[in-house]
Amino acid sequence: MLSSVLLFVLNAFVAVAAAAAASDYHEQLLLRPLPQDTLLASFNFRSNESQAAFEQQNFRYVPRSLGQILQHAHTQELHLRFSVGRWDAENWGQRPWQGSREGGTGVELWAWIEADTEEQAFARWLTLTNALSGLFCASLNFIDATKTIRPVMAFSPEGDHRNAPNLHLLHGTLPHEVVCTENLTPFLKLLPCKGKAGISSLLDGHKLFDASFQTMAIDVRPVCGLDDGKCSLEMEQSVDMVLDIARSKRPRDNPIPRPLPVDQIECDTSKGYNAHDTCFPLNKGTEPGWSLEEVFGKPLRGSCPLIDQGEELGSVCLNTPPERIVEVKTTGEFGETRLSSDTLRCYRLPVGADLDLVLPEQKMTTGLVRPDPQLFAARSINGHGQERGSTQAIIKNPSTTESVEFVYLESLPWFMKPYLHTLRAKVSTSDESPIRETYYRPALDRQRGTHLELRLVIPPASTLTLTYEFEKAILRYTEYPPDANRGFDVAPAVLRILSPQAADKKGIYIRTTSLLLPLPTPDFSMPYNVIILTSTVMALGFGNIFNLLVRRFVGADEVPATGGLKNVLQAKIAGVKAKLGRP
Amino acid sequence: MAPPNATDASVASELPGEPPLASQSTKAQTSPPPESHQSIWLRRAAIISFWAVAVLLGLPVWWTTTAIYRAELPLQDMTDWAEGKVCKPVFPLRIAIEAPASTQDTAQLVRLTQHAIDDLNDFSAHHLRLMPAEPAYAANMSQEVVVDGTTIRSDDKDTVLVIRLIQVETGGTPRARLQKYSPTLDVYYSAAQLPTQSANSSPLASFIAQELQTIFAEEQAQLAYVLAAQPGTQAARVASLSPEKHAELDRHSTKVLKYAPTYHLTFSLFSPSYAPSAWNIEAALQTYLAPLLESFSSISNFTVDTQVQLYATFSPSIHAPEYEETTKAWTLRKEDLSGFVNAAEWPLSPSIGEGPTVNFIVYVPAPSQSPLLVKESAGNSWLVPQWGGVHILNLPSGSSPDALTIDDLAPAMHTFSDQLTSLFGLSQVPSSLPLRISTLERVRAASLIFSASSTLGALAQVYQKMPSIPVPDNVAQSVGSTIKHLHQACNHLRDGRFQSALDHARLAEVEAEKAFFERSMVGQVYFPDEHKVAVYLPLLGPVAVPLVMAALKELKGAIATLRKR
Repeated sequence: MLSSVLLFVLNAFVAVAAAAAASDYHEQLLLRPLPQDTLLASFNFRSNESQAAFEQQNFRYVPRSLGQILQHAHTQELHLRFSVGRWDAENWGQRPWQGSREGGTGVELWAWIEADTEEQAFARWLTLTNALSGLFCASLNFIDATKTIRPVMAFSPEGDHRNAPNLHLLHGTLPHEVVCTENLTPFLKLLPCKGKAGISSLLDGHKLFDASFQTMAIDVRPVCGLDDGKCSLEMEQSVDMVLDIARSKRPRDNPIPRPLPVDQIECDTSKGYNAHDTCFPLNKGTEPGWSLEEVFGKPLRGSCPLIDQGEELGSVCLNTPPERIVEVKTTGEFGETRLSSDTLRCYRLPVGADLDLVLPEQKMTTGLVRPDPQLFAARSINGHGQERGSTQAIIKNPSTTESVEFVYLESLPWFMKPYLHTLRAKVSTSDESPIRETYYRPALDRQRGTHLELRLVIPPASTLTLTYEFEKAILRYTEYPPDANRGFDVAPAVLRILSPQAADKKGIYIRTTSLLLPLPTPDFSMPYNVIILTSTVMALGFGNIFNLLVRRFVGADEVPATGGLKNVLQAKIAGVKAKLGRP
Repeated sequence: MAPPNATDASVASELPGEPPLASQSTKAQTSPPPESHQSIWLRRAAIISFWAVAVLLGLPVWWTTTAIYRAELPLQDMTDWAEGKVCKPVFPLRIAIEAPASTQDTAQLVRLTQHAIDDLNDFSAHHLRLMPAEPAYAANMSQEVVVDGTTIRSDDKDTVLVIRLIQVETGGTPRARLQKYSPTLDVYYSAAQLPTQSANSSPLASFIAQELQTIFAEEQAQLAYVLAAQPGTQAARVASLSPEKHAELDRHSTKVLKYAPTYHLTFSLFSPSYAPSAWNIEAALQTYLAPLLESFSSISNFTVDTQVQLYATFSPSIHAPEYEETTKAWTLRKEDLSGFVNAAEWPLSPSIGEGPTVNFIVYVPAPSQSPLLVKESAGNSWLVPQWGGVHILNLPSGSSPDALTIDDLAPAMHTFSDQLTSLFGLSQVPSSLPLRISTLERVRAASLIFSASSTLGALAQVYQKMPSIPVPDNVAQSVGSTIKHLHQACNHLRDGRFQSALDHARLAEVEAEKAFFERSMVGQVYFPDEHKVAVYLPLLGPVAVPLVMAALKELKGAIATLRKR
């Protein structure tokens, strides 16, 4: 078992990284093994462009395609997220970047747009979503008025907006969007080194979208120097992924996991049922061995030469206990720095030569303490039937000393209609209502969705249960998507922690998972059935009335012999027979 | 007696409770009682009223509810414009002559020169009209002279060229010099060369005529080319072009960018490695390009943006550069130049906003592949028609700077300004830039009029050939305003006001495109025929069968009765 414990200081690392960002381009990769044989890889790329060059459209590190979109849509600050999977907070602890570089499942976008009126802001927002949709090959153009909200408390600008008074914050989500390789390729093209050198050369669609959790973020904000007042535009791109080491090490040409031959499996012979044909795999209690190339499927192609080479800290950092053995394989020159009582090892990459970090399988005696997140949050849909349902969010404060104040933001689709009077918030340890403030903007059918924002406080070591009931709307025939019976995605709730306060302007965020809402779905052949049925009824009525009006009724014995279908047919058959019989 | 009609028989057989074959099994046939006249007419009235409701009410309701709205378009006018029947563009160029000599002498010179010009010119649509320039000091006093069109102010913006007669004593006379940055032709002459009042010819007059003919030869060729491409132009009006000239203009016209009110210019630095990663492009643009764009501003607006893109690799579809020992240079094959720009990987997406993007690419080859040249011509730059230009910037061997200075960029900038002028359709002669730009104005005005007209013609054809597309009212409005602007442009051309003609032609083109590319027209609702059958048949089938059958039987019965009579 782990005998001693070392403290991990993520915040210190972030502070060091930020201080080193003097040059115009900066990149950093942090690798951190997590429990259950997983590995967290946090990529961070930051480029700067002076405000003057940006306004004159002389683009160097900030890509022209994105820069022009921002100018065209008058966007001052932009945050775009593509996410897949779920962060397992119970096992993995605190989120990377305190959740500030993470989005809800699917696509999430929020931006501060400069405009005189709300209408103009919304028009520019549509311009922005349409342009970004083309740039990132995502369905961002489906973010319309029903998926857009204007949050009040949940987000605050990260940049310095001194000379932009009329800023409008708009926020849109696409929880149904499937993030995949076609979104990564344009993401990499925005980088100055294009994934051909530097840490971005490790990013590969096959591995990235196979990860248990991954989120790609783009953040653009204006930054002004405190002393000289010079402003510049900072663009930050980050990718956080949690890889299952065993899964990632599978070779690409043989990706299907197959059991090893029996003689190669190490069995736990202490189990009672162990026999020649049954085997319980032996838990050796070791950390698995891995190397960069094995896990990412690509070699690390040296350093991106645009970063400041004189920088003290290297661009690849490894957060492991000091006893972990790390071999560096490279033909070039590299540097190693150790920080935070040796729990953080950073490597300066060689230019033009590959580098690989190899960590052999090793039995560990020490481990790292993972900081717990400030809150644990989970949300689910309860109830049954086609008409009603209820939502329940369970938020837990693990701290035994500090109470936590936070904002809970829900952006619900219009066809999920919450009853606000059923909103209940209950704290397990006290009877006092935890709701401090409520902001609610009800939905309008087909025009906008519900926007619910709550400011809540949880006392230490207690659990908050938030429930509300809702009604499911019946959609129009054409409003159903092709896979209507799958259900409709509801965007994740966003939790922003107000106190304890974050160390920087980015804030602390937690997102729940998205929900799947089953709506009553009609039989889609219905319109044709309706046509057939009504037509039949009408034809029946018409035929009867018409016949009554135009036919003459006579006695049965008065019916003439000729005519009638049977006689006509008999005559025809006789004629044919006569023709056939003649030769 | 014959049965009244077959209907009765079939109804009788369906009577409830009666076995249908009973009547036939009994041999004793009794005829039904004769039908009363009244009941026959009642039945006919019932059938007729059903039909009347179906035809007079049902059909019109169906027709109006499923009809597509189609605004009225002036189809005949549109076709006439497209066929060139309405406007025959003419280009009367006003040329002012400033002479220090007396008014009579000048008038005589103008008259003689005009004669000489008219004799030389074989292109009736394009003619030069000489006018004595009104002296500046007399401008206020002789308003009426301006009105009658015999004299002209030399600073008038519609004056194409000013001929300044300068009397000199020395040097060979007459001689002429075209000023480079103003539309002025200086003609030096000696006093003896001025024509007298009675003279019928003068060496000075024929010299000026000859000089003007050379200056405007290129413009005439370009206009003739534009006019010749237009249907409905009589061959007589168009000056004949030599096949070589025609081929050259053909090549020229495929290169030239389509006209737009705004162009986006994108300057990109591409490098296969990480250096150079910066360039002093701002200063370079300011020095080399800003003056050129300034002079084009009368025709179009420009936005300029720049970018740096590193790690730009060649497309796999082209051959890698080969090393040539003789010239000690890496060479690219000429046929690979079209694939040189790796469109899949290089971020050269069009700029946002209205208007086309013109790309200019500086490619700095890797030091290991430098210098990089085109194999056949040993050149290092080429123009991509209607798209932009490429310049391979070979840095001095051994150097691989992180940033390019303004001096490094100078050759590339010179190439780009040449490429921009030719992409823009500016000819190489005459040497006066304002004159070339005003030539471009006239050529552009003419081609815009033609292109707007042919768009109108295409719209008229679409309207006639596709009866199922809806045509909203704003299309009719746009067509109306296109025709209005075309008329105005044509009138301005006739009056020699080329700048206003270009403005109206531009508006006409914009309106015509707006009408043609109206979104609600393009996205027509498509109902396949099977769909219509599936929707209509369940109702119309069961209703129509008894209606039609009853009508047929009644008609048959009526005819039989008539025959019998």
